[in-house]
Amino acid sequence: MTATIFKKELTEMLRDGRFRWLSTSVLVLLGAAVLMGMAHTRDVQTQHETAQAAARQDWVGQGEKNPHSAVHYGTYAFKPTMALSAIDPGVDPYVGVSAFLEGHRQNQFEFRPAQDATAMQRFGQLTAATVLQLLIPLLVIVMGFSVFAGEREQGTLRQLMSLGISPGRLALGKALGVSGALAIVLVPAAVLGVVALTLATPGAEVAADAPRLAMMVGAYLLYFGVFVALSLAVSAKAPSSRLALVVLLGFWIVNGLVAPRAVTDVARSLYPSPSSFEFTTGIQAALADGLDGQSPTDARMAAYQQEVLAEYGVDSVDELPISFAGLRFQKSEEMGNEVFDYYYGGLNDTFESQNRVRSLSAVVAPLLAVQSLSMGLAGTDVAQHRHFSEAAEEYRRMYVGRMNEDIAQNAGAGRYVAEAGLWASVPEFDYQAPSVGWVLANHRLSILLLFAWLAVALTLAMRAASALRPV
Amino acid sequence: MLGRIIRHEWTNLAADRTVWVLAGLMALISLYGVYNGATWSAFQRENIAMALDEERDRLAGHRAFVESGQEPASRFRNPLSPDSVGGSMGRRYAYLPPAPLAPLSVGQSDLYPYYFQVSTNSKQSFLNTHELENPSNLLSGRFDLAFVVVYLLPLLILALSYDLLSSEREQGTMAMLLSQPLPLWTLALGKIALRALVVLALALGFSLAGYTAAGGALASMDALLLWMAVVAAYSLLWFGLAVAANALGKGSATNAMLLAGIWLVVVVITPAAVNLVVTTSYPIPSRVELVQALRTATEDANARSAEVLSQYYTDHPEYLPEGEQPDPNDFTLRSYAVREDVERAMAPVLERYDGQLLRQQTLVNRLKWLSPAVVAQEALNDIAGTGLARYQHFLGVVDRYHDELRSYFIPKVSARATMTTADYDAIPVFEYQEESFGEILGRVSAGIVGLALPMLLAFGVGARILRSYPVVG
Amino acid sequence: MLKATDLTKTYNGVAALDRLNLEVAPGDVFCLLGANGAGKTTTINLFLNFIEPSGGTAQVNGLDVTRQPLETKRWLAYIPEQVMLYRHLTGLENLDYFTALSGTDHYPPDQLRAFFKQVGLQDGVADQRVSTYSKGMRQKVGIAIALAKQAKALLLDEPTSGLDPKASNEFSRLLQRLSGEGVAVLMATHDLFRAKESGTRVGIMNQGQLKQTLTTAEIGHADLERIYLEQMHD
Repeated sequence: MTATIFKKELTEMLRDGRFRWLSTSVLVLLGAAVLMGMAHTRDVQTQHETAQAAARQDWVGQGEKNPHSAVHYGTYAFKPTMALSAIDPGVDPYVGVSAFLEGHRQNQFEFRPAQDATAMQRFGQLTAATVLQLLIPLLVIVMGFSVFAGEREQGTLRQLMSLGISPGRLALGKALGVSGALAIVLVPAAVLGVVALTLATPGAEVAADAPRLAMMVGAYLLYFGVFVALSLAVSAKAPSSRLALVVLLGFWIVNGLVAPRAVTDVARSLYPSPSSFEFTTGIQAALADGLDGQSPTDARMAAYQQEVLAEYGVDSVDELPISFAGLRFQKSEEMGNEVFDYYYGGLNDTFESQNRVRSLSAVVAPLLAVQSLSMGLAGTDVAQHRHFSEAAEEYRRMYVGRMNEDIAQNAGAGRYVAEAGLWASVPEFDYQAPSVGWVLANHRLSILLLFAWLAVALTLAMRAASALRPV
Repeated sequence: MLGRIIRHEWTNLAADRTVWVLAGLMALISLYGVYNGATWSAFQRENIAMALDEERDRLAGHRAFVESGQEPASRFRNPLSPDSVGGSMGRRYAYLPPAPLAPLSVGQSDLYPYYFQVSTNSKQSFLNTHELENPSNLLSGRFDLAFVVVYLLPLLILALSYDLLSSEREQGTMAMLLSQPLPLWTLALGKIALRALVVLALALGFSLAGYTAAGGALASMDALLLWMAVVAAYSLLWFGLAVAANALGKGSATNAMLLAGIWLVVVVITPAAVNLVVTTSYPIPSRVELVQALRTATEDANARSAEVLSQYYTDHPEYLPEGEQPDPNDFTLRSYAVREDVERAMAPVLERYDGQLLRQQTLVNRLKWLSPAVVAQEALNDIAGTGLARYQHFLGVVDRYHDELRSYFIPKVSARATMTTADYDAIPVFEYQEESFGEILGRVSAGIVGLALPMLLAFGVGARILRSYPVVG
Repeated sequence: MLKATDLTKTYNGVAALDRLNLEVAPGDVFCLLGANGAGKTTTINLFLNFIEPSGGTAQVNGLDVTRQPLETKRWLAYIPEQVMLYRHLTGLENLDYFTALSGTDHYPPDQLRAFFKQVGLQDGVADQRVSTYSKGMRQKVGIAIALAKQAKALLLDEPTSGLDPKASNEFSRLLQRLSGEGVAVLMATHDLFRAKESGTRVGIMNQGQLKQTLTTAEIGHADLERIYLEQMHD
């Protein structure tokens, strides 16, 4: 019986000009967005790879010089792009693409792509994620708002119910009908996307991306399920199809437009982030006088010198078996790192708190849950940007430490020049993206809320269907 | 008769509770939007003030040091050296103060830096700053009044007027009405006029209230009037579309779907698609290429530094005191020469970004007429001073100031002069010259025309279709 | 007052109204009888200029309704099968609105209330919202609008169908009073009995044509029914 209802719903939908028109447009938009996204991702990937290789070459080919000059010469970390960012570029346009890794300081990531954009940026890029998060739910609403209310107005519901169909089965059949019609749009799009992605990425990466892609598909299916169930529930409950449409469109607007922006300002006022000015002046002050503001660097350095002298049991640095310059550089580096850890850690924690507010707000708008999960799986969320920048910082500390170590061990009195081979002994910066497990753990709140939304929507739909009255 | 219809419509509308709820909601979110915008403007002002305080204290400290006649502790941080002072110690802030109407539209201002620390160093060294902001927040954008106007106000308008005529037909009152000696267009006009009055009173009222609450000065009334003109033109366009849709004589449900579809295309899909077309037509290369190019150019210039130095003083005889020759081994002088050489080498690379952005903007300017939402947003940003145009104007002002600072310090460096207290007092101070109102007016007027034309078209088409309106059947 | 000359309306080549010739003088009550789709409502819609005629003319007070749609409506009042009013407004507010739109001078509330009394609506009803009205009450408001407008011709489209006999009777009496005051009435109806009672003439329509016109004073009720059924046979 459910199958019969499913078939009738699907047939009706496919014969509806509105549905054909809408679904074709959505499909075209989705296809265009995926293809353009992939072209863009490929460009960026190539640029990053070239740049990273060139940076390494520069580093290795520095020639003979003092390791501390090399520390100042520095190198660059370029953020790699994951293939899945073609589907959801997430925050990538809003974070810098490179950081200069040099001695004495931790630099911010520079060059946000969005700064090189016209005012159109603010209307949003047409990405596959936009289509999936905004337009597909709208398609579901347009298909679903009249499934019960419309039949009631036509009077066919009265006839249907007089046949003795159980409302639950009727609802299930209709839900399947809407989902089936949706599948007609989405399955070709998904196949196209997967094929294109596979062709565009090297084999090893495809294997790595496959679980992420699969989970992304799952997340979106949950999200669409919420809308299918909600549409059915509202359609069954609403006194007229017009009202059902108004209610569902209202929800769509709050979900897709109002909530994401409103939550930005709420999160900012709950967890205000420092201004760039306060942040940099704070770091400068702390670098000079310590985090407590009362331990001047010079004094601490003098104390350290005494400590070292005592350790080696000598009276002056010239008597040390090693070069004190190397130790001093390293000590100053470590004092700086303490400051950077405090400030950058605090800043990132503030961002994380803000993002937690965003995730929690998914209680009001499921879009916020699926958005953050989708970005996470595409490797384009704030957490993974932080992961990368922390890896870059770790690399900076590692290589600066090695240079200082080399100075300490090898520099005698007078001018010290290291051999050109020293640079190559520093391993290349090889960033490992976090595992899927790490991403999922990060987004467990979003996952939970997505499931909760589905459960609530299904319950509502079931209740509304069982209370269905034909008049 | 028109007045009578308007009064009657008011009674009818006022009896509908959802209208009041919608209006209240609109009021609430408008004020919330202005509050957010005002917070952001205040934040910017506060930071500019802090920066200027820091600058004043720092320069006063150095000046006091010079006055005291002490010997500097470090060669690199020497308040007596024009190189140290011009290069870092005496850096000054160039800032873009939020315009009076900035609280009404955040626009692009959260993406662009609003102050720079200008020194004699290359522009590249100070231009790439930005405010610290959670990228997620940048992705979603702010909830400001412009968002309410561009995205949500049309929805209120459509909610009030999607069934302008169709509801009368569905209630059966249409035949009763038209059995009176009443032309249909008078009826439609009266109905739309009342709704327009209500919506405009709301929208303009909240613009004014928000502006006043955000501490707007009476002096910038002209900008506020311009803002209101844009809001009015944009709103009337949506009323025009509602009239045209109703004139087709379809049912309320069809009207609702049709108008919601138009809204989606105009506000969501077209702008995103235009963005896609623009970024695909003129892709801006990733800035990682810039990083590499900069490094290569610097190394190249360093390698040729002797040659570069002589070229430098050939180009800038004004930097060198009459009859003096630069010392080819002077490390400081070399670094200035290298810097300029790098800037020259980088110019074509930077052009690839700026030029491409310019081409994008040109294409946007051509394509934006496809979506009144984009036209409205750009016009509102222009008025609020948070768009690309004012930012580029600011960059121009900064550029001139940068040149001014260099022309002040570099001759002193070249002459190996020592900074005196008088020199400190004479360091050029940044002064922001605002764009002329005429320029803003020109851009915004084009936008208003771009909104008024489709509006007239919608009303015209509506009036035309209305002539064959099916009263019965 | 109302005059149709070769009035024709075709939809896709099918005549909904076929060369109708008809004249309704002041004081006349002309009842159009006929089955559904006979062309009665089409005739009324043509007089109201709600639809364009395919041929012929409809005149009100000597003016062509297509040429002077607004002037002719000054003389007309229209009462459909169901008088539709604004639910949120009271009866009085509805009457006020419609009479204001009809271009007549503004009436003070007392006078508007007087119209309610004239059509037999009790005191207090005028201040209730229309959503509480019965169908009979709505039809009376329709007459009140006609009265206030000082209409010279009344177009009625099955105004009594669905009314209970008492309300129907009251309605007919109001019509008679109006015709007594010199108003021309054109009424489409299914109700032979009501047509015989309140009409001065009846016209029997079938498939867009006016088959026969009778003067009610000259025939009995049984005759009317017989002639009607005969005409319906074709």
